[in-house]
Amino acid sequence: MKDLLKYSFLGIIALTTFASCVEEIDSTQFDELELTPTLEGSLLYVEASEQVINLVTGNTVFSNDFNFDAFNSDIFAERVIEGTVTYVVENTTSKELEITVEFLDDSDAVLDTEIFTIQPAPTSILQREIVYGPAGRSIDIITNLSSIRVSAINLGDNTSNSSAPEPMITLKSSGKFTVRVK
Amino acid sequence: MRVARLFFLAILMGCFYAHGQNKQLLYDFTDIPQSLMINPAADVDFKWYGGIPALSGLSFQAGSSGVSAYDLLADDGLDINDKVRDRLLNNMKISDELSGTYQIEFLNIGWRGKDSNYFYSLGAYNEGDAIGYWFKDIAILAFDGNADTFGRFDLSHLKTRGSIVNVYHFGVNKRVSDKLLIGGRAKIYSGILDFNSTRNKGFLQNTEGQNNLISTTLDADLEMRTSGLNVIRAADSQDIGSVITKRALFGGDLGLGLDLGFTSYLNEQTVFTASLLDLGFIYHASDPKNWTLNGRATSEGVEIILPGALADPDADFYQQLIDDIEALAPFEENLKSYLTFRPTKLNASLRYNFGKPIQEGGADCECGPYASQSRRAPRYANAVGGQLYAINRPRGPQTALTAFYLRRFGNIAAIKATYTVDKFSATNIGLGLNLQAGPVNLYFMADNLLGYQNVYNSRYASFQLGLNIISWGKK
Repeated sequence: MKDLLKYSFLGIIALTTFASCVEEIDSTQFDELELTPTLEGSLLYVEASEQVINLVTGNTVFSNDFNFDAFNSDIFAERVIEGTVTYVVENTTSKELEITVEFLDDSDAVLDTEIFTIQPAPTSILQREIVYGPAGRSIDIITNLSSIRVSAINLGDNTSNSSAPEPMITLKSSGKFTVRVK
Repeated sequence: MRVARLFFLAILMGCFYAHGQNKQLLYDFTDIPQSLMINPAADVDFKWYGGIPALSGLSFQAGSSGVSAYDLLADDGLDINDKVRDRLLNNMKISDELSGTYQIEFLNIGWRGKDSNYFYSLGAYNEGDAIGYWFKDIAILAFDGNADTFGRFDLSHLKTRGSIVNVYHFGVNKRVSDKLLIGGRAKIYSGILDFNSTRNKGFLQNTEGQNNLISTTLDADLEMRTSGLNVIRAADSQDIGSVITKRALFGGDLGLGLDLGFTSYLNEQTVFTASLLDLGFIYHASDPKNWTLNGRATSEGVEIILPGALADPDADFYQQLIDDIEALAPFEENLKSYLTFRPTKLNASLRYNFGKPIQEGGADCECGPYASQSRRAPRYANAVGGQLYAINRPRGPQTALTAFYLRRFGNIAAIKATYTVDKFSATNIGLGLNLQAGPVNLYFMADNLLGYQNVYNSRYASFQLGLNIISWGKK
């Protein structure tokens, strides 16, 4: 019994030493936690060979609307904060070209326009980054985007041929958007 | 938002790791009937015992191998976003675990057979456990996204499982000789709820595109399997109790299992024990619902190559792209039944008894009216030893080593102190107390006591308690 009392006493001392120190936490910090990943991927790639350009009568090589509903879905449109669209236009043909990219809403109204006038090869790569959001153009342009109109106008002739292998005009584009998950 | 906050807190505070199911304090603590649940061959000397329903065995364990709630939510003036980045994203490894377990006994009784070398026990308990490994790459994707990097996001980091089951068991403990006891326990599992996603593979990666600026590849072999979730979710608040009860009483997923163990006296004072628990499976056929994402798709966005692309003026290249991706890497749902194996646990101990024998065994036994049998080895006032624990986990076995000291105070009390070390902690000190007041047996155990200096900063805490009635008397 004496041992029991001794060990019980030691146990109580130990437990009271260990126990009950609680430094407060502030769980409301959770409200300040931000989940805002930036997602990046390609958007649109358009390619037309010089052969196609030369076959067209007149200077409008093509002008087409392409459905693009990636950004107007609720899951994206309600969460996107800002973003950047990067264009790279490369011309390896023998003629000057003008590429126009227009963002259209679902009633085909033009929301935004970007025009690239590009010289013939060899000085023929244009890169442009368009910022949307607080530091740039309205993010509503992106959230209302329903289709993209791409037009190409031949500002040169339609008989010459570039000496480059497989001469063509290409429009490359990618998007990088920050969305608020929380 | 409240749900999200609770979920976040649950992850932080309910994150338990490998030794989440380690009951090192109870193991080989043969003064307590529930020690039979961890080793069916535990050398108990009861004539009979009966657990108080719902109070005979309660255990709860929690911990974190990566961060504690205090690490992230301390009122220290730092921005939580910086803390999450420094302490979660940059610090935690994919081997860090978030897991936990609880157990509640509904029934546990035991009795010695007519042949006193046999001891039988049966009962039922409810058990829940869950484990989630730190899904590092998926968390980075959620926090930072995939921009400005050609790095690969490994989808195999998603690895989690959990279940709630009722277990009905019957065990036999046999004294083969003065030096050897063997035991086994048969189990029937009645699965209430199960989810698991443990065999995932794949990646998401951006690379330089062939035509366009970026090529994005999703290579996925992901699967989440569930059973019981849908029927419980579908039940309204009035029916949910009966739905769960029905599933707990063999109306859900069924399975079988086995515990095995032995106790061997190497000499009068040295004892070696081992047990293998939950060698079993559950077949989930009552309410399975599974989701898969399987395939490989690479995209460089909408591609229009003239003049061919304009051949069909009504072509919808965007929709075609979406359709192609969905066809290459379909997200599908199925109702296939599946099999899961229980997390098997191994325990072993080497114990050295010393000091004053509390009771005499063998031929000299001064057996009282409640004495169960007379071949039992003498009980000593002190014991020291070491224990090994291992559990089978989705990322392979994980182990813990324990050193212990056991002190008995006559037949009315015993204390066991443990020091446990594993890959996560080297400061886990535990204490267990067993009290016997007449026929009433009460035990209480807690470990990682140092963690109680600041509960929120503790990465592991556990307690077990129980109340039994035991036939007990001077032997």
